[in-house]
Amino acid sequence: MIDVFFQYDFLRNALIAGVLIGLIAPMLGVFLVVKRMSLVADALSHITLTGIALHLLLANFFAIFSLYDPIYMGMVFAVIGSLFINQLRTVYGHFKELAIPIILSAGVGLAVIFISLADGFNTDLYSYLFGSVAAVGSNDLMTIIIIAVIVLVLLFVFYKEWFFLSFDEEQAAISGLKGKWLELLFSILVALVIAASIRIVGILLVSALMTLPVASAMQWAKSFKQMFVYAAIFGQISVLSGIFLGFHLDLAPGGVIVVFAVIILLLSLLKNKIVKASLNRNVQNR
Amino acid sequence: MMAKASTIVEVNNLTYQYTDRPVLQNLNLSIEEGSFLGLVGPNGSGKSTLIKCILGLIKPQAGKLSLFGSELHRFDDWSKVGYVSQRANRFNAGFPATVFEVVSMGLFGQLGLFRFMKRNDRNKVMQALKTVEMDAYAKQPIGKLSGGQQQRVLIARALVSEPTLLILDEPTVGIDATSARRFYDLLRKLNQDQGLTLLLVSHDVGTMTKYVTNVACLNKSIHFHGTAHEFETNPNLSSLYGYDVQHIIHEHEEIAK
Ligand SMILES: Nc1ncnc2c1ncn2[C@@H]1O[C@H](COP(=O)(O)OP(=O)(O)OP(=O)(O)O)[C@@H](O)[C@H]1O
Ligand SMILES: [Mg+2]
Repeated sequence: MIDVFFQYDFLRNALIAGVLIGLIAPMLGVFLVVKRMSLVADALSHITLTGIALHLLLANFFAIFSLYDPIYMGMVFAVIGSLFINQLRTVYGHFKELAIPIILSAGVGLAVIFISLADGFNTDLYSYLFGSVAAVGSNDLMTIIIIAVIVLVLLFVFYKEWFFLSFDEEQAAISGLKGKWLELLFSILVALVIAASIRIVGILLVSALMTLPVASAMQWAKSFKQMFVYAAIFGQISVLSGIFLGFHLDLAPGGVIVVFAVIILLLSLLKNKIVKASLNRNVQNR
Repeated sequence: MMAKASTIVEVNNLTYQYTDRPVLQNLNLSIEEGSFLGLVGPNGSGKSTLIKCILGLIKPQAGKLSLFGSELHRFDDWSKVGYVSQRANRFNAGFPATVFEVVSMGLFGQLGLFRFMKRNDRNKVMQALKTVEMDAYAKQPIGKLSGGQQQRVLIARALVSEPTLLILDEPTVGIDATSARRFYDLLRKLNQDQGLTLLLVSHDVGTMTKYVTNVACLNKSIHFHGTAHEFETNPNLSSLYGYDVQHIIHEHEEIAK
């Protein structure tokens, strides 16, 4: 059952890509969640759709576009979107989350226009929306590997800084951290990770991969560092299950990944309930 | 006067406005090394605003600010400055970090990029936690502490980089009276033994004046700056600036009786 993944290139690609995405998406997600910015992932995945739709539209008119993967246009849009969100967040100060519906609706609006101009949905678009095991080509894999390496290195280098900034922006600024610059870098990374994950998880579900494992991790972690360990473990379990079952049962992997992430979350919540209940019992028995 | 100690904070003709009305106007203030200055003034008099200007968090429209003898925009040795803000414990209460991790943040500015916590740094964190008597809680999640305990942890974070200047904006709000007094004792000790320069904002003027060496009264600008003794014995202060002081003087009369 598993060796089939090593027989076929495309399956091996999907597997490697899945392992990397299941690692970096939840780890960046930790910062997103503690900054109360989980929805940024949603906004950016939708703006990625805008880029992809534009590419598919242009490919109808200019042959040259068919030579390239639409995901690159998606990536460009995601990065531009993240810069806008960053900017809007400073404009709206106390209402930072306003940036998210603004970018999200603008992105979907444009995407819908592009899609209808390009004569509606095709199978290609379907695989972008829900992910696909067969979709990871060797070029895609290379892109994902490069992004994963960049993310892991930067996470290691800027861990302290991003931790401090998410906890307390004002104090971080006083300690001399260059907050603006670090925020910008972080937004760009999120955009890249989202674009990289879309092949496997799909646009509609990529934000779930960045946030659900983190929500579960919160039920287990005893420190901020542990958040990353648990989020990565839960991300791996979800992604690998999604790819295996997705292939063997011919299901969209994005759906299976998210269902597994939800199951893990429910089990984590249940575990906490049980722990609390037994604490109460101990108190009563005394 | 004795030979002058060096000036750590120097504010000249500072004006700051959020909107069209100045909150601080032509404000002058200097803080000498080794002093323990209490800053008092009614709500909205601009105390927190002045502190944010000194810390470079907001840019004044006019005036000059210097820290440790260099102009503010040139100053970059921020590990010398510790700060506990007025709303310090209003962070995201569920933040999944331990007390230890929160205090470590106080060292991040000093460590800089590509450098990580070493054993020596970890010892410093534990030492700072001991100073505020919170070392037993090092592994606890910060969100599970009481407001007063969180406040102490944030004070430990301000102390851990061993600053020369410590700025505290109403740090004892939400701390019980006994702990507040212990906290003031601690500040006095840091001031006297280690020569830490302190700037403290508090509305609990009665208690504060027993500990500080100097008092400054603020309402848009500094209306009085002198020793704690001068402040306590000056009968005119009430007419100089508003309700709070009347209140204190009243209290003092009560005590004197
Ligand atoms: N972000 C802001 N935007 C506009 N005005 C502000 C802002 N912050 C403070 N102010 C105004 O500036 C004035 C001074 O505020 P500040 O917070 O410095 O007072 P304070 O002396 O610290 O008061 P408190 O004792 O209540 O802490 C107030 O009148 C307030 O209305
Ligand atoms: Mg204030």
